[in-house]
Amino acid sequence: MMAALGAAIRRGVFSIGVLAIFVLFVGPVAILVLTSVRPASGAYYIWRGTTFTLQNFVEVAQQSQVMQAMFNSFVLSTLATIFSLGITVGSGYMLSRFSGWIQRSWFATIYVFRTVPYISWVLPLYLVNTRLGIYDTYLGLLLPHVAVHVCFFSWLMKGFFDGINPSMEHAALIDGCTRWGAFYRVALPSAMPGIAALAILCWLSTWNEFLFALILSGQRTPLITSTMAQFVTETGTEWNLMSATAVFAMLPALLVTVFGQKYVIRGLRM
Amino acid sequence: MLLLIAPAAFVLVCFQIVPILVGMNASFRDWSLVNPLKTWVGLSQYVAVFTDPIFLKVVLPNTFVLMVTSVAASLGLGLVLASLLNKPFFGRPLLRTIILLPLTIAPVITATMIRWSFNDQFGVITTFLAYLGLPEIAWLSDRWPSFTLVILTDIWIWAPWFTIILLAALQGLPPEQFEAAKIDAATPWRTFTHVTLPMLRPVIVVCVLIRSIDAFRTFDQVWILTGGGPARSTEVFSVYVYVQAFINLDFGRGAAAAGVGAIIMLFVGIGLYRLVNRTMETSR
Repeated sequence: MMAALGAAIRRGVFSIGVLAIFVLFVGPVAILVLTSVRPASGAYYIWRGTTFTLQNFVEVAQQSQVMQAMFNSFVLSTLATIFSLGITVGSGYMLSRFSGWIQRSWFATIYVFRTVPYISWVLPLYLVNTRLGIYDTYLGLLLPHVAVHVCFFSWLMKGFFDGINPSMEHAALIDGCTRWGAFYRVALPSAMPGIAALAILCWLSTWNEFLFALILSGQRTPLITSTMAQFVTETGTEWNLMSATAVFAMLPALLVTVFGQKYVIRGLRM
Repeated sequence: MLLLIAPAAFVLVCFQIVPILVGMNASFRDWSLVNPLKTWVGLSQYVAVFTDPIFLKVVLPNTFVLMVTSVAASLGLGLVLASLLNKPFFGRPLLRTIILLPLTIAPVITATMIRWSFNDQFGVITTFLAYLGLPEIAWLSDRWPSFTLVILTDIWIWAPWFTIILLAALQGLPPEQFEAAKIDAATPWRTFTHVTLPMLRPVIVVCVLIRSIDAFRTFDQVWILTGGGPARSTEVFSVYVYVQAFINLDFGRGAAAAGVGAIIMLFVGIGLYRLVNRTMETSR
């Protein structure tokens, strides 16, 4: 009798705990989504009233700056993903398969530059970009977004290739494959699942990146995060429109969470 | 073979190492963005940073408090969540999906929604706390409440990251030790502290290393939530540098502060790396 009661209590506490975690992680997002479907008059005290509207989304979609920022962020994230993965795959492969002083010093370099706080090099990068005339252009935003991934991704790519047995490549070499062919036809396909996961995370992190956008983009090439931030810190009162913009900016995250879950988890575990 | 690293090295040199050198050059000059005379002033910018009471008494303590509390609390919460998700129960797949939200949503948006939820007048959470009869706190108008909010936001974002990684590690642990502990009638708590934790230690150490380095440069949440205010009391390192360079338009001072941060992180990074190597050796 007592044991049964104890088990019931334990189950109750457990369920409440799970529910609390659920509320903790969904709550803030739900508040934001709820605000975005309330009319301007109902955005305050969102727990009162029952009028809902999609007008906010229509209004935000008509603001050319927001739409342009979404487009720019989309293009930039896609390009940054392609280039970051393209240049780090070779670097990771080299770190994994060859050894010598070049590899050791390259590995030390990427570790050291990984620790440098972003602001310490993005701040002078603003000067470099204005000097080169690429401030506030795609090129000027793309290259730093690639550079930021060089260190960490080389490290992760090394991990992928470390996990693949090199004997397959040796076999390919014996069968008359070139060194390049062994990399391209044997090692690369085996590393593909890891690279795919990394691609999704890379895309998301570029879409979400804020400091670079704030410093290196301006009126010509606005990005979604800097546009959001401008709304929040400068205008800061039309919460219904702001929430609608945030929901738009959140769409890729929601899509990835629901459909790309497997890849995100795999990517984070590396 | 060198061809393989050439593109990566090229981008790294041009867009990270060159800017760092430019920044070092700027930090020795009186370089303001509105009046770029660029006079060489030696170390006086560094002296100015180190004698700035805000940098010493607000920025550095804030940065390290954020780093330590956020990493420790995220790790703790992550361990709890990972152990919870390691057992099957109703709703586990849903909870595991939901836990990914903080990691995929931009910190800018997270900070926006936290700012809105804790709004003094209309915030849902503020109102709910008042409804529960708790004393009303003006969350964003005092130093410690706003800084607490910054820390909580950081934990909200990063606890799931620890959870996912620790959960993967838990699922990869060999079952023999747990069976042995069960046969010896160890309580769940003792099993956790004496079997699970020691086996997880290498993973935990690497996570803490990566997170600590990243926590030092936290910018987005602080900038959106408080903007460093009220009265610069919640500024952290990155915000301080940004304000010096782009709000006060004093580029030389900003570059000097950025350099100080980079040097601090270099030492912290090397120290942590040594610690990781030592832990890896002893746990082998």
